[in-house]
Amino acid sequence: MREGGRGTEARGRVMKYVLVVLAVLWALLPVYWMMTISLKHEVDQFAVPPKWFVFKPTLAHYADAFLERSFGQYLLTSAIVAVVSTLCALILGTLAAYGLARFRLPAKLNTRLALWILSTRMFPPIVTAVPLFLLMSDLNLLDTLASLVIVYTAFNLPFVVWMMRGFFNEIPREMEEAARVDGDSRLGALRRVVLPLVSPGLAATAVFCLIISWNEFLFALTLTQTDRSMTLPVGIAGRVTQYEIEWGVMSAAGVVAMIPILIFALAVQRYLVRGLSMGAVKG
Amino acid sequence: MNVQFINVTKSFGSAVVVDDLTLSTEEGEFVVLLGPSGCGKTTTLRMLAGLEDVTSGDILIGSERVNDLPTQARDIAMVFQSYALYPHMTIAENIAYPLRVRKTNREETKRRVREVASMLEISGLLERRPRDLSGGERQRVALARAIVREPRVYLMDEPLSNLDARLRVQMRGELKRLQHELGTTTVYVTHDQSEAMTLAHRVAVMRAGRLQQFDTPMNIYNRPANRFVAEFVGSPSMNFIEGQVDEGGRAFTSGQLILPLTEAQLDRTRGHLAVTLGIRPEHVQVSTGARDGSTPANVYVTELMGNETFVFLRLPGGEKIIARAPADFRAPEDTPVRVSFELERAAFFDAESGEALG
Amino acid sequence: MPSLFSRTRSGPAYPSHTKERALPFLLVAPTVAVLLALSIYPLIYAVKVSLQTEAGTAWTLQNFARLLRDDFFQAALAHTLVYAIIALTVEFLLGLGLAVLLNREMRGRSFFRAALLVPMMLPPVVVGVVWRLMLNPTFGAVNGTLQGFGANTEALTWTAHPTLAFASVILVDIWQWTPFMFLILLAGLQAIPQEPYEAALIDGSSPWQTFRHVTLPLLKPAILIALLLRTMDLLRVFDQIFILTEGGPGSATETISLYIHRTAFRFGDFGYAAAMSFVLLLLTNFISLAYIRLLKGQEAA
Repeated sequence: MREGGRGTEARGRVMKYVLVVLAVLWALLPVYWMMTISLKHEVDQFAVPPKWFVFKPTLAHYADAFLERSFGQYLLTSAIVAVVSTLCALILGTLAAYGLARFRLPAKLNTRLALWILSTRMFPPIVTAVPLFLLMSDLNLLDTLASLVIVYTAFNLPFVVWMMRGFFNEIPREMEEAARVDGDSRLGALRRVVLPLVSPGLAATAVFCLIISWNEFLFALTLTQTDRSMTLPVGIAGRVTQYEIEWGVMSAAGVVAMIPILIFALAVQRYLVRGLSMGAVKG
Repeated sequence: MNVQFINVTKSFGSAVVVDDLTLSTEEGEFVVLLGPSGCGKTTTLRMLAGLEDVTSGDILIGSERVNDLPTQARDIAMVFQSYALYPHMTIAENIAYPLRVRKTNREETKRRVREVASMLEISGLLERRPRDLSGGERQRVALARAIVREPRVYLMDEPLSNLDARLRVQMRGELKRLQHELGTTTVYVTHDQSEAMTLAHRVAVMRAGRLQQFDTPMNIYNRPANRFVAEFVGSPSMNFIEGQVDEGGRAFTSGQLILPLTEAQLDRTRGHLAVTLGIRPEHVQVSTGARDGSTPANVYVTELMGNETFVFLRLPGGEKIIARAPADFRAPEDTPVRVSFELERAAFFDAESGEALG
Repeated sequence: MPSLFSRTRSGPAYPSHTKERALPFLLVAPTVAVLLALSIYPLIYAVKVSLQTEAGTAWTLQNFARLLRDDFFQAALAHTLVYAIIALTVEFLLGLGLAVLLNREMRGRSFFRAALLVPMMLPPVVVGVVWRLMLNPTFGAVNGTLQGFGANTEALTWTAHPTLAFASVILVDIWQWTPFMFLILLAGLQAIPQEPYEAALIDGSSPWQTFRHVTLPLLKPAILIALLLRTMDLLRVFDQIFILTEGGPGSATETISLYIHRTAFRFGDFGYAAAMSFVLLLLTNFISLAYIRLLKGQEAA
């Protein structure tokens, strides 16, 4: 009886590993497939049955995409837009979050403002994309990096406020009280005491903003028109939907668009749950 | 510099936390705000620090009204219950922080930090971080950060409550000595009456936002202003017996218990029908043999403390009282004993208002 | 020189209490201003556009009236809802299963967890590329592999066939977003304390009973949050479908967001696009409020 129990347990454990490994393969194989395509000569790309492991690798598609075509420029645009909008959102949002977390505002404004800020984040992007397109066209900002920076800043702001508010709330109030009693001003206490203490959270929030901006597609699609301001996702999408698809170039661009994100995601793994649920679930 | 509270009230919404507090300290005085949790003592301290707004009334440091002065401009130092050390700074940086924000030059800062550290015997810890320190060491760092400059007033919010009992007694002594040496006005908040009694020049006992009594520890102990103060200060607590004063019989009566009163005591209690007699455990004598003027009682339980014994007794009327007896006093449960009261040390309170009589 | 601003106290100039009191407003104001300008104003602008004739000369309800007659809109609405319901159900069940599998300590767990999260982190455009490569009828890895096993894949044209295309976009959503469910539910599971399980064990409860009566009720808040966040995302889905099928073939995979996009940016009919946006906004709000009510009830219980 006991033996049988141990047998089922062992079988259960094996089953568990089999299931988990299958799930991991399901998650990773498609991505791996794209990576192989980006490294394959055309002959190997279309081989039947597909060549999963054995093929002669080449970097030609990468050179083609980033040196011959405009993907190098898209990459640069994506990086600039992501970094600048993240910085703007981080500065504005952190200050606002500090105000909401640490000061008593009249008329329950702390909670009300926080919820209002959160609610702006809940709009489906397409709802604001149409009027924003019209506004940007009125302002002559269509097809500029500025328009993307502005829109991404606004898009990331609620996220920053909400995340940082959570991080500030975790710092004991006595920290600032001690700093003020010691003679520091409120902003001095923020700079010298509170910010150093929330710096891991701040870094995680920054990385999330970078990821969100880097991955963003819809606004970039509507607000950009030419190579002048196209981000990497729009650049890729523009080629994918053409009739003549160059699979190697596409895959190479896809791999390059993906790699920084995966590194970033790994860096913020600890905060992933919090970032994705904006603190609704503590991870 | 002295501190004055003049008709200070603090309310959160409709809840009044501090109610019309008027209190002023002497220059260099060690004042303890004592009371149970929720009595408003911490709020009072935080108003003095500028961490809470004053709803009405004035707070003065020296002759300056500080109500509208932000915390950082009040030139005070504070030790928090949680110590509030900055976890990302070394101990030396923690202690130097009040100097750093005042832009004191480097040499001076270094010198002062070293001085204070050696005064508090933490010179060896300067390069460590708060998380590597024990509770007692953190406590010393918090103190060092407070005394590294010369503020007008020290504020302390239950600074010893997170230490274990032995360390607490040791630090208590050191605090007292330190305050004596520095001679700076200190306002200290605690709920521990023994800290209040040992540290304070004067104790302010608070309850439900109201000041009950502000006096020297001896007077607080011996001449409590009301029943609350009498009960809160002293361990074990004062015994209370409800009864009446029989003017004709010149005695305090409670059921079968009849205790003769002096002329002075009769004067004090005159005009009050229901009276509570309060008597401290050390003024209750227990003996196994009969004595003059003694009252019969039963031993409920005894607690050996080592240097003395607490005897819990049940009087014929059912009241439970505590007596302090010598260490070698032994009596099993339910032993009949005799009790006598040092009535000249008794206190009398109006049973209804709880105010001390006389 | 006597100054108007002379102070009674010497020493550094400290801000007065009143100035300090303005500080929180100063801290919050820029954020509020940016959001008013870039979230609220566009919304109002959209209201205006949706209620005006194309020339912007007169007020009209014709854009909203059109919604009732527009077969494309109704089809898009139906696609969105069917897509959301199927994807949500499958993602939830798979995510829960995976979360339960990986909840207990096992060798390599942190590697497995990280690997399972990869699809969710990818840029949606990359997801589109990956699956176009996988699903290409002639040389995609899926059909290629099937052919390798000797299957006839002529009929499996995936994104070119209306029903298969719809199945494909749902499949891709499941591939990308099951990890999200998994992650949130795993976090929820790990937040459940050990004691209830020990108590259930002592009370002699079977594994299934324990799951049913201990795990699920304690996991309910996390479940609701995961469902809420996923539902809102599913209702607005755009990116992957745009890359994968552009809403085609025909309009077989066109969701509301795609149809709005097409109306605004292909046909230039911004008024009608704005009107549809409001339907989407209302739908999202309505559903999320329902979830939030459920959540609040949960907290009260």
